[in-house]
Amino acid sequence: MSKSFRQSQSFLHTWSGLLLGWVLFVIFMAGTIAFWREGLNRWMRPELDRIEQPYTVLGGAQRFLQGKAADAKSWYIAMPSDKSAGAQVYWQPQPEPGKERGGRRGGRRSRENQALIGADGLPAVARETRGGDFFYRFHFDLHYMPVIWARWLVGVAAMAMLVAILSGIVTHKKIFKDFFTLRRGKGQRSWLDGHNATAVLALPFHLMITYTGLVTLMAMLMPWAVVANYADTEKLYDRLFPHVEEQARSGTRAPLIDLGRVVRNAEQRLGGPAGSINVSEPGDAAATITVTGAPSAMLSSRAPSLTYRGTDGAFVWETPAPGGASVTAGAMIGLHAGRFADYGMRWLYFLCGIGGTLMVASGLVLWIVKRREKLPDPARPHFGFRLVEWLNIAVIGGFPLGVAAMLWANRLLPMAMKDRAEWEIHALFIAWGVALGIASVLRSGRAWTVLLGATGALLATIPVYNVLAAPRGLPATLLQGDYLLAGIDLALMTFGASLLATARRVATYRPAAKRPRKRVPGGGAQAPVSSSGLHAMEPAE
Amino acid sequence: MTATTGSKGTAADAWKRRGDMTLRIVAAVPLGYAVASLWAMALARLLPGDRAEATVAATLVAFALCAGAAMWAFAARSGWRAFWTLVVAGAIAGGLTWLSIMGSGRL
Repeated sequence: MSKSFRQSQSFLHTWSGLLLGWVLFVIFMAGTIAFWREGLNRWMRPELDRIEQPYTVLGGAQRFLQGKAADAKSWYIAMPSDKSAGAQVYWQPQPEPGKERGGRRGGRRSRENQALIGADGLPAVARETRGGDFFYRFHFDLHYMPVIWARWLVGVAAMAMLVAILSGIVTHKKIFKDFFTLRRGKGQRSWLDGHNATAVLALPFHLMITYTGLVTLMAMLMPWAVVANYADTEKLYDRLFPHVEEQARSGTRAPLIDLGRVVRNAEQRLGGPAGSINVSEPGDAAATITVTGAPSAMLSSRAPSLTYRGTDGAFVWETPAPGGASVTAGAMIGLHAGRFADYGMRWLYFLCGIGGTLMVASGLVLWIVKRREKLPDPARPHFGFRLVEWLNIAVIGGFPLGVAAMLWANRLLPMAMKDRAEWEIHALFIAWGVALGIASVLRSGRAWTVLLGATGALLATIPVYNVLAAPRGLPATLLQGDYLLAGIDLALMTFGASLLATARRVATYRPAAKRPRKRVPGGGAQAPVSSSGLHAMEPAE
Repeated sequence: MTATTGSKGTAADAWKRRGDMTLRIVAAVPLGYAVASLWAMALARLLPGDRAEATVAATLVAFALCAGAAMWAFAARSGWRAFWTLVVAGAIAGGLTWLSIMGSGRL
């Protein structure tokens, strides 16, 4: 590769990475947490027992819906498993006569029309929380802003990430040699090594997750191929996402067959577990039951569906086999979400996600470290430098503090509080706001110490609180073999301890004695208390 | 690339560098997206086989084209060169799409 090509891409790498780097950090971290979405859904509702008998819960869900919404337009049941926090059920009432019906998603899932069925098959009483689902949605919908803007912002950030990764590969002269290099305690070199190590170690993951992330938003980001071929886009969606033709309500009442029987048959035909059950016109003779495969059972996110007659459970329809490009798109989205991954694979995803989060963070810090040494007057850096440094502390130090605060809010907010689930999320942003303030008033080294230390302390102590005051503490979960919950507590302790150790290293860091050769008039090339101090972050995690 | 060379030139040189950089950014971001979109359209029309499958395949490829265009915008010898090469690339795709739609229409 020519030198000028590499230089041009180095410039591109620096700026495409910096401009949206803070958004990327938050997206990457939220996405990484969301790999434990189901686990957090359970962890954040510690009142709920683990599900041992999914079919008992399913039967309970059917009884509940029959009592509550026998004549509904439709029911939706998320098939419970030992990973899920109960079976979430939704129902859509019959449209009122005279009122116009919306489109396919006409009846919105209002809060009144849903319930959670617990492990014993009865409606569960649990604290109101968004659980791990919050991190999943936040990963692409952000919060406090219209979803469509958020997704465009996330999409643009993902494209910047893709460009940063590709140009970063070009920039990298000795990709394999540097792979084995980690020089510690050497300021800028160490940051560069850390950035390279986190980037190169999981490079295939970073490329995969960024590209497939764009694919998950492709209908919005890149609708032009559709425009070129279709005047009526419904035709395309009917082809790509075929569904059984809706039966009109007959008006004759008829009881619904036992859903367990239908689901057992569907699981046999699918060759794997069911993921969700849709019942249309449950109380009517024209009722149909559609069972969709669980995303955990296959790579593609587009699990096939089977439809049965509601009165006698006769098999009527199944999703036709999709074409090559559709399968590719489905597999890419499946790869991104990682729902197919069992625990071992899920850990690999999680560790790669941490690598990516650290890659973004170390890249942002590297921008500062590199420029600090060239500042004409380190006591008075220019505006751009101060802005980037402030954003680094406020976002890289602040968002994790917010997450820790949210987890504590989940434990401490009163059970009967109004809008409790929403307040857990407010807690995240309030703590983040406090972090912003700390980043504004304290010197950078101190601000890093305070934020990392506070986050570490908050995370490390939650599992202790769980043992003392919550139903499902660490000894209990380990004894019951509930490794999903135990794993979350152990991970929180590990993160807490590493952040505390990092904060300590930042606090006690003294820059190495100045080398006389490098002395610069006016005090110095070697002022980077915070920058080199920060470097302590990298070996700790 | 001119913008990264350290030599301090005259004021005219500085403006030239800024103009070059502006052209590259315009070529990389809005133009890069437009070229990727036009090629997604052209590929969706020209790829053989089922229309729905060709549409999906073209969309999947478009993101790589978008990233490639951004990289080219900074790798090209000058901002102007980046700009006009991308305009030509987009025009070819646009022309192919237009001819194809004129020929056989949309679904």
